[in-house]
Amino acid sequence: MSPVIDAHGHVGGWADFFVPEPGAAWLVDVNTEIGIDVVGVSHLVAVGRDPAAGNELALAEAERHPGRIGVWLVADPYRPDAAALLREQLDRPGVWGLKLHPDTHECAVIDPRYEPLLELAAAAGVPVLSHGQTRSPYSDPGDLAELARRHPAVPVLVGHAGLWQDGFDRAARLSAAQPNLYLEICGSRLTTRWLERLVAVAGADRVLFGTDACFLDPRLGLGKVRFARLSDEDRALVLGGNAARLLGRRLILASQETP
Amino acid sequence: MRIFDAHRVLGPVPGDHVPSADVAGLLAELDHLGTDGAAVTPSHGLYGDPAHEHGAGPGSVPGHERLVPVPVILPAVPGAGWPDGPGAVVDAAPAMVRACPVRHRFALTGPVALRWWHELAVAAIPLALDASETGLDRVGALAAAVPELRILVLSPGYRCLRELAELLDAHPGIHVETGTLAAAGAVEWLARRSGAHRLVFGTGAPVWDDAGPRFQLDHLRLPAADVELIAAGSFEALRAGGRR
Repeated sequence: MSPVIDAHGHVGGWADFFVPEPGAAWLVDVNTEIGIDVVGVSHLVAVGRDPAAGNELALAEAERHPGRIGVWLVADPYRPDAAALLREQLDRPGVWGLKLHPDTHECAVIDPRYEPLLELAAAAGVPVLSHGQTRSPYSDPGDLAELARRHPAVPVLVGHAGLWQDGFDRAARLSAAQPNLYLEICGSRLTTRWLERLVAVAGADRVLFGTDACFLDPRLGLGKVRFARLSDEDRALVLGGNAARLLGRRLILASQETP
Repeated sequence: MRIFDAHRVLGPVPGDHVPSADVAGLLAELDHLGTDGAAVTPSHGLYGDPAHEHGAGPGSVPGHERLVPVPVILPAVPGAGWPDGPGAVVDAAPAMVRACPVRHRFALTGPVALRWWHELAVAAIPLALDASETGLDRVGALAAAVPELRILVLSPGYRCLRELAELLDAHPGIHVETGTLAAAGAVEWLARRSGAHRLVFGTGAPVWDDAGPRFQLDHLRLPAADVELIAAGSFEALRAGGRR
């Protein structure tokens, strides 16, 4: 059976609002109960204010929960030695790839300061997950498509599939037109109806399951895919087949470990 | 376990093509999710002017035995609202009514509306308000002005748990819909803190997602009795005037 891989998660608290369950232990417990094998997280300390320190926190969680927590290393467009730091961390167990947060970091995804980090991803052969937000000056899916065109060897994942409902159709068409542009579907605005449309337009091999835990409850994200009117084959691709293909040997599953 | 979605919209909605544009489509959606019934607001009441687009009366939404009509009312000066006065609402005795003070531009706690709310409170007819439209401050002001009125807060979202908890502490008549309480563990946190009898399963579909909240209901980490309250019991008590 195909694994269920949550391609977009977080751990940690957040300044803007109260999250009752920000910890990795709760997330792993709930994921086990509902059938999510592994989740790739970026730590919210890394997203919010200190990428270097936050990435170490995420790596520590991956070490505590091997095969249940993977890590997206948050890429810092401001720190001159960011690429060197990340190069070392990319070799640590459980690391999936790089996470870009252009809106939080107030640096457009096509800004030259992200270039060394994309070149690093290309050299390391890892995917890049970016926050994606339709009409954002930092992370509009059109700009993410441009990033994918500049770096054709790097799988670029449009986080939240662009976030807003009125941008989903365009994001799907951009993905369909750019072979290394993928749609990751977490977010409170997505419905099963829109998920089915994303799959129909972009193709089931271009859509990845994500939950945005712990901002959002992972049960909500999984329910959308479980109830979506998709074929078994398409659902398996969305839930984990695509992520497994993109992550390759970097994907470690606790369920596959031998005792 | 009976599952009742206390927040559904029936009819076409702007910006999308939805299966629940008619009763048959809405029932098919409920069947797909294993939901027994729903409280439904007609989309013409939300996206049109109730004064011009209402049905025959405040209890006359196109119906089905699985659907509970929730008409949109508009308390305003004579000639500008609908129906003519709160007496018509009380006579129709709907299970719940909904009002949109921002969308329809009336004063939620103005003298006209307050008279309506007092009469609805006496008749034990609850009022649903969309927090994303109305704002929690306005909801709190109304609850303070008419403490006997039972209010269901729809679509509070996942960013205002602190304010919601305080609102529930301060106003026993307030209940909260769960569908958009989307932060990790939010439903359990609020249920343990404020009581599952204050939480009402509802989704806001088709505008908001219904599948995730429905799936979550089957996987809540709460005692079965609490889950049953959230799934249907809290709404039943709300429409019955708080008798549990």
